[in-house]
Amino acid sequence: MKDLKIKISGISGQGIISSGDILSYATARKGYYVTTYRAFPSEIRGDGKCYYTLRISEHKALTATGTTDILVCLDEDTIYEGINNITKNGVLIYDSDIVPILKEKRDDIVIYGLPLTKIAKELDSERSRNMVALGMVVGLLKNLHLEEQILKDIELRYKNKAQEVINSNKKALNSGFEYCLNKLERKDNLEKAEMKTTGAKLIMSGNEAIGLAALVSGCRFFAGYPITPATEIMEWLAKELPKFDGKMVQCEDEIAAINYALGASYSGVKSMTATSGPGFSLMQEAIGLASMAEIPIVIADVQRCGPSTGIPTKTEQSDLFAAMYGTHGDCPKIVLAPMDVADCFYQTINAFNFAEQYQVPVIILSDASLGPRRECVDLIDIDNLKIVNRQKALLKEGDIYRRYEDTKSGISPITNPGDLYGEHVVTGLEHTEENAPTPSAQVHRKMIEKRFRKLETAAGQFSKAKTYGIEGASIGIISWGSTSGAVFEAIDMAKEKGIDVQALYPRTLYPLPSDWIKGFVKDKDVIIVVEANYNAQFKSTIVERCTHINKGTEVLEFLKYDGTPFTPEEILEEIEKVAKLQQEKNDISTNKHIHF
Amino acid sequence: MKKMEIADYKGKVKPSWCPGCGNHSVLMALKKAMAELNYQTHETAIVSGIGCSSRFPFFMATYGFHSIHGRALPVAIGLKQAKPEINVIAVGGDGDGLSIGGNHFIHAGRKNPNITYIMMDNEIYALTKGQCSPTSRIGTITKCNPYAWTADRINPVLMALSFNASYVARGYAGDVKQLEKLIFGGLQHKGFAFIHIVSPCVQYNKVSSFEKIKEIVRNLPDNHDLTDRVNAMKYAFSSDGLYTGVFYKVQRPTYEERYKDVISKAKQAVDSNFSIKDVIKQFQ
Repeated sequence: MKDLKIKISGISGQGIISSGDILSYATARKGYYVTTYRAFPSEIRGDGKCYYTLRISEHKALTATGTTDILVCLDEDTIYEGINNITKNGVLIYDSDIVPILKEKRDDIVIYGLPLTKIAKELDSERSRNMVALGMVVGLLKNLHLEEQILKDIELRYKNKAQEVINSNKKALNSGFEYCLNKLERKDNLEKAEMKTTGAKLIMSGNEAIGLAALVSGCRFFAGYPITPATEIMEWLAKELPKFDGKMVQCEDEIAAINYALGASYSGVKSMTATSGPGFSLMQEAIGLASMAEIPIVIADVQRCGPSTGIPTKTEQSDLFAAMYGTHGDCPKIVLAPMDVADCFYQTINAFNFAEQYQVPVIILSDASLGPRRECVDLIDIDNLKIVNRQKALLKEGDIYRRYEDTKSGISPITNPGDLYGEHVVTGLEHTEENAPTPSAQVHRKMIEKRFRKLETAAGQFSKAKTYGIEGASIGIISWGSTSGAVFEAIDMAKEKGIDVQALYPRTLYPLPSDWIKGFVKDKDVIIVVEANYNAQFKSTIVERCTHINKGTEVLEFLKYDGTPFTPEEILEEIEKVAKLQQEKNDISTNKHIHF
Repeated sequence: MKKMEIADYKGKVKPSWCPGCGNHSVLMALKKAMAELNYQTHETAIVSGIGCSSRFPFFMATYGFHSIHGRALPVAIGLKQAKPEINVIAVGGDGDGLSIGGNHFIHAGRKNPNITYIMMDNEIYALTKGQCSPTSRIGTITKCNPYAWTADRINPVLMALSFNASYVARGYAGDVKQLEKLIFGGLQHKGFAFIHIVSPCVQYNKVSSFEKIKEIVRNLPDNHDLTDRVNAMKYAFSSDGLYTGVFYKVQRPTYEERYKDVISKAKQAVDSNFSIKDVIKQFQ
């Protein structure tokens, strides 16, 4: 067995997320690869549904969406929601104490109705029903040998709680495990399931990866305002920054947050903020200030369904326009989009490097499927990362210092309060090289060009757009951010069906990666742009801005905007549809040729 | 360290305020107070938002941050928290600080950052050529309210007192000597010092002219207890004139000091040679 998907579902408050987290830590620490997907309602309690999917594998997997091999349901509704999504010979576990009669069944899967409530009650802790269920899963997969590690992870997770809590959770897990081993009449074929372990790795969420990269980059100031699903970045840095004399401050709103960060960055300290859609809208004016006054800053936007409050816990890639064009005026900035958790780390390192080197705001577009997603990351060699620090002007008495000197690269010498002879005023007003405000047409034109010139200088430094799949394939897919994982897996599936597809994944979305797109589309008959928004935000941008695309190559869109991330299966279906159409077109043109 | 003279603070840009504008006196008073405290230009940052008075940083030789409308305080507090050794002075007008930036004023008071906030109140939006501001008086007629003005005034001193600013003073641009004293006190104060300065606009506000303000200005009594917040509020409320002087002054831990506690608590939990590699262990 190379690959296994487990989904735990129920109502919020039933401990779905904690059991999913504990299981993902245990599998990762045992040496398997794991990636996850979680979805939960905005309410803490109530009848909102919670889902936690884990994909355990021998090789790094890119998605945890799609079909399920083991579905564990702690309530009744999620059984019927999920039963048809279970793979053939898969397993359904539900609580027979709360669901005496199953209203829907399938013959091609194994169904275990187990007395989860009864077992938990016998232990005097009905709340540990989730742990009983988790114990059953560990028992089902006994050849993965997770039982010892998972007890350690229970201890770790609840280390700040009373010993009783730890004990009752451990007891519940053991009871489920024992039940599975001794009392359950096994009908499934997981008993012999084995999987290779692949050595030490890290496990973290997308949000934690952004926080860690900030710390590694030397960021020592974070200002934020709580917002789902970005708060975890703030919480993680609140815990870690002060250990390194860094500061995390919680502000009165997002406008304050980004302006605190700008003040801090102006003082010479690498600074960032993180938010989601509504907060990102509030920050736009200050992003323009950072661009105009040339103050380095990193802003992470963990996108969620919008507009307005939208669906705070569900995912979307609909802030691309806001990231590229949300600020008024001609506003140079850099927009990066990580694809998975490891990429969250490396793109954040890039973000700080670009911000400091080019004195621009850098926006990282994560999303609600990526931010809270916990998955394995290969070990990070922090000693060999390239970290760019602010290149300060070295001045002596009598030097004439021009903060906004119009240089060849566009990058001007920078100083910060505390630096001798470097006094200057930064401003959002158009200004001369000597930082004096001016309405001069000539200066405005010259300074806009200077500020944008930095992006031309930067272009050579951006990570190359990644390609995946079959070189020279006539069908191409362009995707960005977290959607790319599902695209790559769909390409592998298409290959098995004999359809060749190549994908392009630009990591830098703004400035627009025109050259890479141009190179990629050259030999393609058709391009599908896959993204999770209604407006086809990236597609319309590249069609509009990369005029070379309009000639010859057909550009299609495949969009999703229901709050859930793409599954590889959905994309495969689209690929097959497009491939069939292409085939038909080719047939027609071939026939015509014959007739002539 | 260089011995600073008033002339050392003169900025590259000539003040753009109208002749006779109250802000000229504030500029002079701040320079004098800074010279007296020997503030070095490279160790001082003047932060502002948008408005006539917010052009202030350009007229000084210090570091400066002319930010966006209403955001002087968040920029100033972020700067101070990140680099506490810098002297940070926020400046701006009534529209900037009480209207668009009003929210930040509330929170600056309760956080108590060690900065000075000088508000030059001309009771009007002057940079946009005269519209009513949160401190405009009933009876003020502008192009935006040609028939009547429909909102009551904000009382900035009363606000600062209720937000628990730890130094609250009011001055009047017609009395530079007093201004200098109030600003000097504010700069010396450890904590959030709010100085409200009635600084008449000679161009767009005929209702609150120098002459009219001069008639109502009076000093707080010499025996006023600076630690008595309720009594300070009574003077701020008073309708028998416009009280000037120091209303309130107490010492309490600053925002930066409180964060030092956070850092020492965080460090207590780890070894002295704790490194980022140790942080990564939580993910293993």
